Amino acid sequence: MAKGSHLGDLVELVLLAVRRLGEVEADGASVRAVLSDRGDRRVSVSTVYVTLMRLEEKGYARSWKGEPNARRGGKARRLYAVTPEGMEILEHVRTVRERMWAPASEVARG
Amino acid sequence: MSRQAQPPEDEHRADPGSGPPRLATRLLEGVLPPTDRGAAILGDLHEEFEARARKDERAARRWYVVEAIGIGVRYGRRTRRNRRGAAALGAPQGHDRSWEGMVDTLFTNVRYAVRRLTRSPMFTLVAVLSLGIGIGANTAMFSLVNAAIIRDMGFAEPERLVDVYEGTDDFTHGTLSYPDYLDFVEGSRDVFEAVTVSRFAVVQADTEDGVETLFGAGVTGEFFDLLGIDAARGRLLGEEDDVAPGAHPVVVLGHDYWSSRYAADPDIVGRQVRLRGRPYAVIGVTPEGFTGSVRGFAPALYVPVMMVDELMGSTGNSLESRGSQSYFGTARLRDGATFAQAEAAAERVTATLRERHPRTWTPDKEFVLERTEDVIMNPMIDRFVVPAAGMIMTVVGLVLLIACANLASFLLARAADRRKEIAVRLAVGARRRTLVAQLLTETVILAGVGGALGIVIATQGLDLLLAADLPLPFPITLDLSLDRTVLAFSALVSLGAGVLFGLAPALQSTNPDVAPALRDESAGGGRARGASLRNALVVGQVAVSVVLLVGAGLFLRSLDASRRLDPGFGGTPTALVQLVTPGDRYTREEALVYQRTLRERVAALPGVQSVGVIDNIHLDPLNTQTVRVQVDGIDPPPGQDFHGVDYAVIDEHLLEALDIPLVEGRGIEALDVADGEPVALVNQEFVHRFLPEGGAVGREVRLNGDPVRVVGVTADHKVRGLGEAPRPFVYRPIRQSFSPYGWVAARTGGEAERLVLDVIAEARALDPDIMVTQAKTMRRHLAVMLLGRELGAMVVGGFALLALLLASIGLYGTVSYAVARRAREVGIRLSLGADVGSVIRMLTGSGMRLVATGGAIGVLAAAAAAQLLSRLLYGVPPLDLPTFLVVPVVVGLVAFMASWVPARRVARIDPVGALRSE
Repeated sequence: MAKGSHLGDLVELVLLAVRRLGEVEADGASVRAVLSDRGDRRVSVSTVYVTLMRLEEKGYARSWKGEPNARRGGKARRLYAVTPEGMEILEHVRTVRERMWAPASEVARG
Repeated sequence: MSRQAQPPEDEHRADPGSGPPRLATRLLEGVLPPTDRGAAILGDLHEEFEARARKDERAARRWYVVEAIGIGVRYGRRTRRNRRGAAALGAPQGHDRSWEGMVDTLFTNVRYAVRRLTRSPMFTLVAVLSLGIGIGANTAMFSLVNAAIIRDMGFAEPERLVDVYEGTDDFTHGTLSYPDYLDFVEGSRDVFEAVTVSRFAVVQADTEDGVETLFGAGVTGEFFDLLGIDAARGRLLGEEDDVAPGAHPVVVLGHDYWSSRYAADPDIVGRQVRLRGRPYAVIGVTPEGFTGSVRGFAPALYVPVMMVDELMGSTGNSLESRGSQSYFGTARLRDGATFAQAEAAAERVTATLRERHPRTWTPDKEFVLERTEDVIMNPMIDRFVVPAAGMIMTVVGLVLLIACANLASFLLARAADRRKEIAVRLAVGARRRTLVAQLLTETVILAGVGGALGIVIATQGLDLLLAADLPLPFPITLDLSLDRTVLAFSALVSLGAGVLFGLAPALQSTNPDVAPALRDESAGGGRARGASLRNALVVGQVAVSVVLLVGAGLFLRSLDASRRLDPGFGGTPTALVQLVTPGDRYTREEALVYQRTLRERVAALPGVQSVGVIDNIHLDPLNTQTVRVQVDGIDPPPGQDFHGVDYAVIDEHLLEALDIPLVEGRGIEALDVADGEPVALVNQEFVHRFLPEGGAVGREVRLNGDPVRVVGVTADHKVRGLGEAPRPFVYRPIRQSFSPYGWVAARTGGEAERLVLDVIAEARALDPDIMVTQAKTMRRHLAVMLLGRELGAMVVGGFALLALLLASIGLYGTVSYAVARRAREVGIRLSLGADVGSVIRMLTGSGMRLVATGGAIGVLAAAAAAQLLSRLLYGVPPLDLPTFLVVPVVVGLVAFMASWVPARRVARIDPVGALRSE
């Protein structure tokens, strides 16, 4: 397991959103939309990007430049995807959670 | 806010005026990294803004701004954090050039400086206090100078205004008489658009509980128009209010008086005030900040000049008398007319008047013009005011200099302590400019806080000054509020102090020659580079302190010499009350009866020893009067056919009341009545000057052309000033030379203050409407003469002590620092067997050598400065030996204490610990 085997709540949600959007291309705005629609979390643009930046620094996400677009004031969008390390930590967190939810007898058996 | 709601491209808003708030976008562009990621964030924001704006544009803008601020805070901090480590070390930074880079650097520097300052609170406290005192002294004195000299009087187009005076050889800038004014107007129409005169008028106003005496002004109809003043309420006086004597009972209230007396009543216009029993209609209020045409004298109210005689209860008609010179003249040049043309016109009028009125217009009398902008109060007074102001500003400037020297000295010491740190930073590639900027930020912050403290000190000090009960001869009104000029001055002084005195230490401590510091010479006791500069600062401080203390000493000695002067009268507690028996209500005989009755009633009061009446009290700085004297065999001054001699009109008890001895002949007697032989008393100096062959009593002289017999000789006394050489003086009996103005002088064995009130009560009991124009004790009256010297000694003395205190702090700091730095050397000495006493002597001695150098320089500089002061000194030579002896001794003693106390601390040094420490 990677050294930081633990994710903050928001960080986890953002990473999950990127994963979910993976097929449709995840950018800051769509991540916020998913967080709001599915995650029941309203966050500011800056929060999302700071979180995405941290995820990139930790190697859990990667990003690339998209196409510029007049609707965006001529700015290109930045697209994100989860890296294998990111997938790994997500899986790890999920396992931990499930272990915690499992009935006591199962844990003892495992 | 789902993504699916994005509008198609063609629906994109075409309105060029909208779009995200521009300032917020600028902020974002500033803080976001200039990378793709930054662009992506901007794009996201833009996109969502557009989506939101379609629903509610205002809400969208609000949202955008909130987001932008959020990003600004987070990214600003994030990018700074990355950079700060490098910035604090002064490492070169990529972002430096841009606007936000500079703000960022400033932010970093300020935080860094504040952290360092709070880490050494003692240093910060002393530095801020030093600067606060220095800047406070400067701000306070500058406020005074600003109010008295610099502040704009509020006149329109002041460059076209000209002051008009009547000058003679003796009195170069006197006021005008009304008839002369009319002639001047007539003869100068081609150059002046208008000419106005104003005069002071002491006015008695009825209040609910008695009367109050006000200081007002009588002005001609042109006055306000000519100066370009508009009413704050109602209207101001115009030419229609200035037609016939006594016919215009209207009044304009001064803004301050309206505010204080009538609580700025908005409905004041149309109300009536009773002035000397007659109702006057209030027609308007002057604008705030306007204080009349003469600086320093703010009239409470303005009445038409036609009403002044009636208001003052004058016997004669001052509007028709060429001898009644009480009118301040101001004229406005026509468009295009030059000052030279005006002077030519004035010369023409002078020539005409000399021809027409040779008696009053003597050959040396002329109209004198000055540009209003060049005059502060009156050119004759300005000659003293300007040097005095210059002296005070020099004194406080020197105090500030000492305070700044302290600051620089402390900074140098701190810099020396940080040599290693700075050397390391320079060595790892920090740019010197960056380090200097950091160090300067620190001093500028210190100076800023010091300046703020200074402003507080200044306002408190000025409040104290205003609250002080100075024995002023007339109500001086100076608006000492801190206006923009004063605040700009303080800010400039603070900034200048911070930059100038922070720069040298900053440059010196960041000198790129870092090798010695890395080798750490400090432990070896060698001379640090900063030391020589610090020593120079101590020398300078001591020198400046000596100069200031010598100045203070000279003023104190001068004050002492003046105090010792015997005015020649009024040596015992005496009450002085000036009354006017108005000419429109009292005939000459009735006035005499009133005066005699009052005199008798006052004489019957308990404790009263003697009561007399005199029309013009001696040593009154505002009033002098002369009589034309001709004596057979004595030639008058060239160009004149008489001698001007000071005189007063007295009753038969006055000499006794004022304690003026009669040395020959008789005094004034009750027999000296109007139809008796005209008589006079003269003083010894008069005899010496005009009747030198002796036998003065019985001689006949001509006074104002009429023969008068000298019946007695009095001792000399001071007439116009305490420091004057003996002046000739003439007394005339009140029954022969009546004056409606009379000072009742009552000598008492008890309290003069009480008696003043009793005399006023008696005067009002006899006539409730009698005009009491002045009332004071003799002590207070004479104090006016010493006021200038007292203030001078107080101000210079106070600031000199402050300077000495600041310089002592500086010396204390320097020696303490030397002790700390030389701990190792001291340790060696002590462990080698040196006794503590000799080490203390060594350390104190190095401090005292600086003091001796500074003292010597200071004495030389003081000797030069004293020559400049000589005009302001009385009874003490500029190179007064006692002053020049005492001051260096005092400075030496204080300096010794300041270096001995910290030097003594070496005794506490543990030799072993000190040796091990490095």
